[in-house]
Amino acid sequence: MNVPERKVKLKIADMAKKYPNGDGVEHINLDIYEGEIVTLLGPSGCGKTTILRAIGGFHDITDGDILIDGKSIAGLPPEKRPTAMVFQSYNLWPHMTIYENLSYGLKLRKIPKAQIDEDIKKILQLVSMPGCEKKYPNQLSGGQQQRIAIARSLLLKPELLLLDEPFSALDAKIRQQMREELKKIQSDLGITVVFVTHDQEEAMALSHRIVVMNKGVVAQVGTPTEIYDHPADRYVASFIGEMNFIDIDDQTIAVRPENLSLDPEAKGDLKATVRTIMVLGHYVQVTVQHGDTVLKSFVDREVSDRLSVGDEVSLEIGTHHVFAKE
Amino acid sequence: MSKAAKQKIVAYAMVLPAFLIVMLTVAYPIVNSIILSFKDEKTGKFTLDNYAYFFTTPNQLKNILYTLFVVLVTVALAIVIAYLLALYLRFNHSRIAKWIGNLYLLPRFVPAMCAVYAMITIIRDSGLINRVGAAFGQDWKLGLMYHASGLIVMNLWFNIPFATMMIAAGLGAIPDSIIEAARDVGAGRMKVFRAMILPLSVKDVVIAATFVYMSNVGSFTTPYLMGGNAPKMLGIALFDQFNKYLDYNRSAALSVIMFLLCAVSAVVYIRTNLKDREWEA
Repeated sequence: MNVPERKVKLKIADMAKKYPNGDGVEHINLDIYEGEIVTLLGPSGCGKTTILRAIGGFHDITDGDILIDGKSIAGLPPEKRPTAMVFQSYNLWPHMTIYENLSYGLKLRKIPKAQIDEDIKKILQLVSMPGCEKKYPNQLSGGQQQRIAIARSLLLKPELLLLDEPFSALDAKIRQQMREELKKIQSDLGITVVFVTHDQEEAMALSHRIVVMNKGVVAQVGTPTEIYDHPADRYVASFIGEMNFIDIDDQTIAVRPENLSLDPEAKGDLKATVRTIMVLGHYVQVTVQHGDTVLKSFVDREVSDRLSVGDEVSLEIGTHHVFAKE
Repeated sequence: MSKAAKQKIVAYAMVLPAFLIVMLTVAYPIVNSIILSFKDEKTGKFTLDNYAYFFTTPNQLKNILYTLFVVLVTVALAIVIAYLLALYLRFNHSRIAKWIGNLYLLPRFVPAMCAVYAMITIIRDSGLINRVGAAFGQDWKLGLMYHASGLIVMNLWFNIPFATMMIAAGLGAIPDSIIEAARDVGAGRMKVFRAMILPLSVKDVVIAATFVYMSNVGSFTTPYLMGGNAPKMLGIALFDQFNKYLDYNRSAALSVIMFLLCAVSAVVYIRTNLKDREWEA
């Protein structure tokens, strides 16, 4: 991904945003390339929304700079920035029809009405909601409202589309569908997207690169596979996907459930006792007690058939990571 | 008897006590006053004289116009100031705004009489303001006492906090993201106000205005203590008719006139509240 000739769309240079109570983010350095979906991922309070809102102009930054196409936008109010933001909820203006919602920003830009009408028709097609111009937001479902919100942002042809947990208020099935649609729209238009979420599955599914945040600093930046396969530290390892941590001597071994095998013969040195066996379709999730810790392993049916609760097994650690013990 | 019919009887029986109380305490006196207002004082025959008196006697007509003037100026000033104050409280997050937000309702807790007397000691021509001026060798005479402007100042004291409270509640219900989304698509502050905040809060503003209007049409304490002899607010004029001249027919007619003046705002209030705007459905 770090091919040098790729054009940097958004550059965040040693940015800091500190709140009066001392919370906030600092030393944020990030390059986002043209046509890329980058997700800011982390638990609530990690600073991901703060960064997004700083890009959109809704927070003044306390240090550093934000540049789009090499030009600083840090001093501009939101209405002057070439960014468009989709919020978590209450995006649409309730007293305006969908047509009015979509056309408002275009009218401010003095675009002729015929052009506006045509653009709106096209964009509604793109988000698969043709013919809803005369409806009011409250006559649409949550998922439909977010589609219109995305459409409204796209209409303004922003340099950068910012999405602040736009799907978190939707139910699981719609959420998945919306992700796919967003990804398709993004690749069709080649637009650059910064997406904020606390849902690691959403981040994995959607992003070209993920920025994992922890307590106001960047913990790791990488492609979903890089982050899953090579977590930089214990925090990232625990946050992305499922991970077992086994303390051996002064080291912590981190191993994913699919890389932890169980030997029913218990021939190995690392002994454990089977706690639960759960069949989850084509694989089986087995939890075992090893000392004080409970470990999770995904095994085949043929292995699990030879196990029952209370059995002694030994652990075989496959691909794993080693971190210093905390 | 069918089950449905029985249920109906039970339902009516449960509503009956409340219905009777309303009829007895609200409807009956109203109807009674209306009848009284059309009766001649001596003969008891039907007449329009009681109404004609208030619209043809120059002093009485002046009272009506004077009342409308004081009330409408009060409504206009109170609503404009309250709206500005509510906007400030909603969108300013400074410590001062927080303090004002906590304190602005305090005037509502001061009994009306105390507040009026306190105001009098400050604004009368020999009051606090005059004495502060005197300390600097000035002779400030505000001329607010026994004058419409004094009544309006006092009305503002009572009505600004109340109107602010109502409007602030409406503004508080507008989510930040609605405003941020508008700024995001390119609207500056004035455009955000015109296109978002005003249409989303206009209902609360109208309702606050009707309340301020209604409570001032029949006001008594303030004009009684601060008002001049002529023209008078209708509350005082009614007091005179009823308590001094003991003319119950004219009192009834004036009551109906005041009721109709209030009804104007009641109609506005009900229409604003009932109007089923499609986007609110």
